[in-house]
Amino acid sequence: MTSLWMWWQGYVTVRLRGPGLERLLNRMAELGFVIQWVERLTTDVIIVRLRVKDFRRLRPLLWGTQVSVSILDKHGAPFWFKRFRLRASLALGLLLSFFFVLYLSNFVWFIEVRGSETLSLETLSSAVQDLGLQAGVARSTIKPREIEAELLKRFPVLAWAQVTVKGVRVEISLTERDGVEPEESGPGHVYAAMDGVVTEVLVLRGTPHVKDGQTVRKGDLLISGEYYDARGRKQYGAAQGVIKARVWYEGIGEGSLVRWEPVHTGRNHRQYAITIGNITIPVGRSYSLETHLKSEKEWQLSLGQAMVPLRFARIDYQEVEYIKVHVPSEEARKEALRMAWDNLKKQGVDEDQVREERQQVDFLTDAEGVRVTLQVEVLDDIGQFLTH
Amino acid sequence: MRPARNQIIKKKLARTFDLPPAVLLDQATIHILGDAEAKIVNHKGLVQYTNTCIKARSNQGIIEVVGSDLEITSFSSSEIKISGTIREVMLK
Repeated sequence: MTSLWMWWQGYVTVRLRGPGLERLLNRMAELGFVIQWVERLTTDVIIVRLRVKDFRRLRPLLWGTQVSVSILDKHGAPFWFKRFRLRASLALGLLLSFFFVLYLSNFVWFIEVRGSETLSLETLSSAVQDLGLQAGVARSTIKPREIEAELLKRFPVLAWAQVTVKGVRVEISLTERDGVEPEESGPGHVYAAMDGVVTEVLVLRGTPHVKDGQTVRKGDLLISGEYYDARGRKQYGAAQGVIKARVWYEGIGEGSLVRWEPVHTGRNHRQYAITIGNITIPVGRSYSLETHLKSEKEWQLSLGQAMVPLRFARIDYQEVEYIKVHVPSEEARKEALRMAWDNLKKQGVDEDQVREERQQVDFLTDAEGVRVTLQVEVLDDIGQFLTH
Repeated sequence: MRPARNQIIKKKLARTFDLPPAVLLDQATIHILGDAEAKIVNHKGLVQYTNTCIKARSNQGIIEVVGSDLEITSFSSSEIKISGTIREVMLK
């Protein structure tokens, strides 16, 4: 503590040369000098450290003695500040750097995952990103307990998860379950998950209740869990098997016969934006997106692999006017068909498995669009196991 | 005779009131930390300082610290802190 206090006050290393140095030290001590780290070099030379204000009081003590004094070095805060006064820009830079580092320490820079064996880092990474945890986010926004709970919910393979924020580092410790297979399901039947015409019946366990060519409705019993074992005894277990059937799906898509196309007026505007953490500071005015097309180029500051939460963006606005353009009916139909297919894919239809397809094209009553109704026939396993 | 009588009275006072004799009798105190550090409290002045021997005056006589690489880490009117390798501490 004394050393720190001396550093703050400023001290000098001085060399005292001459006879009777012990007497001089005693005199200095009597006068309340703070004398530190006294080193004896030779019989008539000692080196002492004195506070700056004590050094000023030393000279009068030397009058009339044969002791000479010389300063060897200067230390402490006053000398530092003096040096920085001469280099103001350096001092300012240091101060700014200090605050910048202080600011950066509010963010997470490193995420460490431990204990993940079967779960890939990419899967975990995207999961925690969804939960708001990624390099560059503010530490205050991280809710470890919520992330832990969500990880356990999303990944049943996890038995335990712990998220710890340690400075600018977040540690995710995981423990996966041992390779325990889920228990075999209890007794139950296989029912039809949708309407269809049965084309194939393969029973692995249980009794079939349908045969090839039979039309079934959603919810009909396909395979019963009841069966007779080798000794002829009636058993009741989990029905198992594959019931393939021809099923139909319908998808609808619409295409417009008119399109509004932007035409550049030739007037362009530019805006800049600086984003620090979650705060974006725009430089220049914004323009309505109803009359302007917007394009943005962004630069992210990075320190090695770590992303600094500082982004610069250049936003270009192009002023446009929208004009009405007529779309050929064939083009509109193709667009509607594409949408119908998208619709079917969302229902789980694989295009390669389609056995038959039917299209119906209708023009909409306002004459500005075309509707395509697409019906496809596929072979699907319609069995759905349900326990009792 | 008078100092001796004073000392006797102070000793009696210290014993009666259970006061620290070092304070009342103005005695020097020597603290030694292993063989690396020594502290002399309530000295009456530095007599000699070399790398092998440091002598300080006290009311009880001359305190002599002998060793090697001796250094005074701090020095004030009441206290001397010594570091180095201490071999002997004597009161002469």
